[in-house]
Amino acid sequence: MTTPNIDTNEVLIDCQSVWKIFGKAAPAAMNAVVQQGLTKTQILQNYGCVVGVSDVSLQVRRGEIFCIMGLSGSGKSTLIRLLNKLITPSAGKIVVKGKELSSLNAAQLREVRARHIGMVFQSVALLPNRTVLENTAFGLEVQGVGKAERYKVAEQALAKVGLSDWMARYPSELSGGMQQRVGLARAITADPEVILMDEPFSALDPLIRRQLQDEFRQLTKELGKSAVFITHDLDEAIRIGDRIAIMKDGAIIQVGTAEEIVLNPADDYVAEFVAGISRLHLVRAGSVMTPVEPFKVANPGCDIARLTKTSVDADINELIGLTMKSERDALAVVDNGVVVGIITPRDLLRGVQGIPNEFAASPVATALEAST
Amino acid sequence: MSTPDFSNQFDSVVDSSLEWLMDNGESVFDTTNAFLKGVYEGVQWCIAYPPYYVIAIVIALIGWRAVGLRFAILTGLALLFCDVIGLWPETVSTLALVLTATVLALVVAIPLGVLAGLAPSFDRVVDPFLDLIQTMPPYIYLLPAIALLGYGTATALLATFIVAVPPAMRLTSLGIRMTPKEFIELGDASGVTGWQMFFKIRLPFAMPSIMAGVNQSLMMAFGMVVIAGIVGSGGLGESIYGAVRTLDIAKSINAAIAIVILTMILDRLAQSAARSRMGESK
Repeated sequence: MTTPNIDTNEVLIDCQSVWKIFGKAAPAAMNAVVQQGLTKTQILQNYGCVVGVSDVSLQVRRGEIFCIMGLSGSGKSTLIRLLNKLITPSAGKIVVKGKELSSLNAAQLREVRARHIGMVFQSVALLPNRTVLENTAFGLEVQGVGKAERYKVAEQALAKVGLSDWMARYPSELSGGMQQRVGLARAITADPEVILMDEPFSALDPLIRRQLQDEFRQLTKELGKSAVFITHDLDEAIRIGDRIAIMKDGAIIQVGTAEEIVLNPADDYVAEFVAGISRLHLVRAGSVMTPVEPFKVANPGCDIARLTKTSVDADINELIGLTMKSERDALAVVDNGVVVGIITPRDLLRGVQGIPNEFAASPVATALEAST
Repeated sequence: MSTPDFSNQFDSVVDSSLEWLMDNGESVFDTTNAFLKGVYEGVQWCIAYPPYYVIAIVIALIGWRAVGLRFAILTGLALLFCDVIGLWPETVSTLALVLTATVLALVVAIPLGVLAGLAPSFDRVVDPFLDLIQTMPPYIYLLPAIALLGYGTATALLATFIVAVPPAMRLTSLGIRMTPKEFIELGDASGVTGWQMFFKIRLPFAMPSIMAGVNQSLMMAFGMVVIAGIVGSGGLGESIYGAVRTLDIAKSINAAIAIVILTMILDRLAQSAARSRMGESK
């Protein structure tokens, strides 16, 4: 999963220490959190308030698909609704395209929602009294775009999701997967920079779901959109996300690429989650290779120049294939024309288990260590 | 020992305030009377002026478009039957009374229902009044109406209006309140204005409920119009009342059949309107 078009410098959504506490005494509870640092359980006991989101900071960059993974009750649905202020945060700042949401008046907020942030719902929410085309054009209709113009744009969006033949139908005539495609077409018709996806595929059957996941990722990348994608399914997050945030009890416990999370789970909770995930396509040569020097010491007779060459980004599956074809038991990992490491069968097995190389020379491992 | 005293006093207060109303509100009631009568006579003229078969055909055609051919044929035959039994003028008067009272009631009930649906505080204020209106026996409303407006059509219309308001208002308010949460979120997330939220999202979802309310109000109005025969409403209600007083069983049964015919036709028409509003044409 290479993602060349992510612009790490342009942050579209910036959440800074955002909190959401539900309940009548929410302001008092929020004060108690700030001043006394009460825990979630203490707030529930002392104030009768539920902490939905606790101290979340995250950045969504231009062109990036950012997945938020968590089980039910982890606060992920609340968090995504804070991003377009469907829910107002109890504390913290949310900045969208340089504008802080809490500082906007009603008209400015409508403008941001209409033009910059689209949303796709798990329940799809297609208006039953409108045709597919009318539903798709809803966002533009709300903005006051004329009929001919908005239908033209909506037709293009429907063509992109493969529903050109269904424009005159009503939502009740469509299958669940098709309805969700309409939901996606509706979101991209308004041409927002960021699309918020609230568990859009959770209610679909597995086959359709995988198909939509791939289509969604492809379409988002093709259009250069950013997305925040909520899911309770780690496989889905790995398939779709450029980066994944893992949420538990309202807090984000780890943010990183799928490879980073699988190789270096932040705690036992994450480790348990990633235990069942296949590493074959996630772990890359760079993370498990043995550095050249120790390899030379251990194998003095081996001529590195004659080994089959591969790249830092090759995944375990590819490396296994290469090793099987090669006459020798090692591969040379080449980066910018220089051999940076060796992949031995031992490294491959480590990769399948998801353990980074003990020499800790991999860029991923060092980067993570530096950041913690 | 003070109870009879108190109740006497209470009665005299009610009587004197009613008298005060009659003395001081005369111009208001006269205007109301003239207005109700005027509207009714206009509607009645429209239906009564053309020959009976023209009206029967027009209603049958509406039925054909709205419901179907079988319904249209039955409607036409049933209306012709009303003429055959010699009750066409009364049938027309009753139809005019019901339509006038229902339309006036809807003009008031639907906007108030919308308001009640959007503002829970207003709903809490009006709800007891609607309860009161709906739990009282309907002919109660004939008494103050006859005291203030006198014997005749206007009184029948006012009493019918009163009982026809609550169902439409209640169901409108319910429909407006019952917008599914995810569609409110959709509206907000799409950046709708307050008006857009109302007309593009809340109202379409409320439409089936509103139309059910319209149908209920229509049926309430039918019930009341027949009772209002007592106060000289004219139409089939008065025919039945007259026939009951003279024990003319045949005539009362004829009038009852005409009422049933009219009720069924309007009920089916209103129901089909409700259904087509939901966008479930298939």
